Amino acid sequence: MVNSVLRVEDLCSGYEKQTVFTNLSTSIQEGKITTIIGPNGCGKSTLLKTIGRILKQTSGNVYLQEQNMQAISTKEIAKQLALLSQNPEAPAQLKVEELISYGRYPHRKNVGALSKKDIEVIEWAMEVTKTTQFRKREISQLSGGQRQKVWLAMALAQETDILLLDEPTTYLDMAHQLEMLKIVDDLNKKHQCTIVMVLHDINHAARFSDELIAMKGGEIITVGTPSEILTKDVMKRVFQIDAKIMIDEENGSPVCYGYDI
Amino acid sequence: MRKEQFGHFLTLMLIFIGLTFVAFYFHITNGAFDMSVMDVVKTMLRIDPNEKHDLVIFEFRLPRIVIAALVGIGLGMAGTVIQGVTRNGLADPGILGINAGAGASIVIFMFFFQMSSNNLTDDSWSSILMMPLFGFVGGAVAAGLIYLFSWRNGVLDMQRLILTGIAISSGFGALSLYISLKMNASDYEMAAVWIAGSIYSANWSFVLSMLPWIVILGYVIYRKSHLLDYFQLEEASAKSLGISVEKEKSILLLSSVGIVSACVSVSGGIGFIGLMAPHIAKRLVGIQHRFVLPMSAMIGMFLLIFSDYIAKTVFEPSELPVGIVVSIIGIPYFLYLLVKSKA
Repeated sequence: MVNSVLRVEDLCSGYEKQTVFTNLSTSIQEGKITTIIGPNGCGKSTLLKTIGRILKQTSGNVYLQEQNMQAISTKEIAKQLALLSQNPEAPAQLKVEELISYGRYPHRKNVGALSKKDIEVIEWAMEVTKTTQFRKREISQLSGGQRQKVWLAMALAQETDILLLDEPTTYLDMAHQLEMLKIVDDLNKKHQCTIVMVLHDINHAARFSDELIAMKGGEIITVGTPSEILTKDVMKRVFQIDAKIMIDEENGSPVCYGYDI
Repeated sequence: MRKEQFGHFLTLMLIFIGLTFVAFYFHITNGAFDMSVMDVVKTMLRIDPNEKHDLVIFEFRLPRIVIAALVGIGLGMAGTVIQGVTRNGLADPGILGINAGAGASIVIFMFFFQMSSNNLTDDSWSSILMMPLFGFVGGAVAAGLIYLFSWRNGVLDMQRLILTGIAISSGFGALSLYISLKMNASDYEMAAVWIAGSIYSANWSFVLSMLPWIVILGYVIYRKSHLLDYFQLEEASAKSLGISVEKEKSILLLSSVGIVSACVSVSGGIGFIGLMAPHIAKRLVGIQHRFVLPMSAMIGMFLLIFSDYIAKTVFEPSELPVGIVVSIIGIPYFLYLLVKSKA
């Protein structure tokens, strides 16, 4: 049996005047890529943000390695779990390598200079995300795709075992989307990173995930492997579409090649 | 690269120390009673002291310059923090109503303790020391109200922050005016001059009353200045890096409210220094707050000593409140920033 590295129990969360979901329970397996899918407004980003303690739950608990997250200091959590939010912002004049070095915050004791270890990790993060070549540039000079990779590098500099990604491919062109997901896949395969992400593209979700969580209207409809979720029946229930699904011969994952409403 | 940056920062600091020294020189030698440099040096070093020189330097000019320096440092730091925490380059303690809040509560304090300039007895000593504390309460109330009204969905709405700040500011300003009108004539005169922002009634007890605030809270802010860099990312990123955003922001904001209150209790409402100093500092040393903060303090100090020198001399023998001089320089700069930020 695989350990659940993150477990959500009776979680309720939402914004000031609007509850997004109540009593959600699920668990995330260690070393796997789990993707949350669902229509707009189903609560998938809210769930990810609540797990990543960016949003405070109204009730319920999230357990990180079977420890209640509310009992762990936020800095300790940042050593185990990094979150890349949707459309992050940074001051325009900030240099790429400076932004990435921010990721070392939870590991740094004082205000002083970066340690040797810090610098090593930053170099590694730039290498993995292929951002080394524009390390001296300012954030404002980068394209959307480059910028997203830099943000990923910052999250990697936190050196965590768990990575939460909120729609990491939004606003990227097709090639950059795939590049981003391949980096994520590499992190999972080579560095045993547990990944939890929110994606809109169900084909990408199916291709890169070990497990899918399908949500709708603040509820988890079903959880399973891509071939269990990408079915006519589940697509109808979750997205209200009539999906045409086949198996991609090359990698064996299901693909939705057309749909109607 | 980091070393280069540090060298650049150091050079600029030295330049501004030099400029401050020039302003200091003009301020201490010029005035209703002109003195030569030799006189000043002799008096400071206690070489055949003369009563007249002693009086002018130690009782009139020096405390005034020291206060201008401290207030400048305080406002420069507070402005940096407030701009950093709110992620808004147009924020400043004056615009946010913290000045006015602290001001109103100090006017209330003056009203009840009847401390006009002519009864500075031993008893009023303690009340001078109490003034920053009172100011702090008013400043914190203003800051709290602004926070309360601009809080939406767990985040600080910047648009609302500025608008509420303006409303709170004029509200407290009206309150100050109302109370000062109910004062007796001599208290009123003092309050009116003080509200406009002036330091010409400076003496050493004022220096003593604000010094601990500037030193202690300034140290707290300096220790936390690197966090301001992280706050330039949006809240979610800062939180996921493991920063207790709400807690750290509150510590930083309250420290600045404390500093501003101490400044206001001594010098009245001097606006625009807290806006200009951080801006100029960022132009000069970039966006890393551990450089911006000391630079901004330095620039604030220079600007205020220089403005006070102008305030003292331009309409000699009558004096202009320094707050007005700062505004005359500050308003065009503020408008320039507004125009530029639109482009």
